Amino acid sequence: MIELTRVYHFSAAHRLESPMLSAEENARRYGPCFRPHGHNYYLEVTMRGEPDPVTGMVIDIGRVDDVVSATVLDHVDHRTLEEVPRLGGVITTGESLARAFWDLLAPALRPGTLARVAVVETAKNRFEYAGEDR
Amino acid sequence: MIAYSTRRFTFAAGHRYTVDAWPAEKNERVFGRLAVPHGHNYTLDVTVRGPIDAETGMVIDLSEVKAVVSETVVERFDHADLNADPAFRGRVPTTENIAVVVWELLAPKLGGERLWQVRVWEDPTLFVDYRGPGR
Repeated sequence: MIELTRVYHFSAAHRLESPMLSAEENARRYGPCFRPHGHNYYLEVTMRGEPDPVTGMVIDIGRVDDVVSATVLDHVDHRTLEEVPRLGGVITTGESLARAFWDLLAPALRPGTLARVAVVETAKNRFEYAGEDR
Repeated sequence: MIAYSTRRFTFAAGHRYTVDAWPAEKNERVFGRLAVPHGHNYTLDVTVRGPIDAETGMVIDLSEVKAVVSETVVERFDHADLNADPAFRGRVPTTENIAVVVWELLAPKLGGERLWQVRVWEDPTLFVDYRGPGR
């Protein structure tokens, strides 16, 4: 089994705020992340499969690029994540973004081919999600 | 106690995507720009796995990994035309197949049990992982 990972980039603004907490509790819980700020995010999309015996390719990378752009990047790059309709209700922590991006990408890709989604928020923070059962 | 040690290597190589059995038009249609000869600065991460030796504190002497990978892979593929290498006869030198070939070259020398993963970076935006047949 081969795993192929493509690294994408987007820049976005966000702030962490839970609708279930008061303003004071949010400020205390999230600290500086409660204030509007932004990141240069990296999104790593890992596909899995066996290389085609003729072409040597697990997947058409160009098609994955198109799907990731149309499904995620075009909606989040240079946006405020809290205002992105397809992220409605998501508290935009790295881990919740990883799961939200997985939920958007998995149905748009051939079933069983998406292995993992990683959101790299900063050089220090990395979040991975590999589906509900993993 | 199992630990994983990774050593990084680089090599620059030329390649093109082409299936010999296909006419030129089909290769161009399927592979596009990749059908034209070009090259990459590849990065290779070799990960070995095993218990930490009680005496040396090491999973493996990484200088041994360095010597084996340099001799077996880097010297062979650095500044080489991958399509001309017998390892890619009948195999398109995609990043996927490069990872498989590197695994096949290293496993007999490092041992299939100790060799855990081969990661080949074509550029900073694309890498492929291979952990051997059935894994």
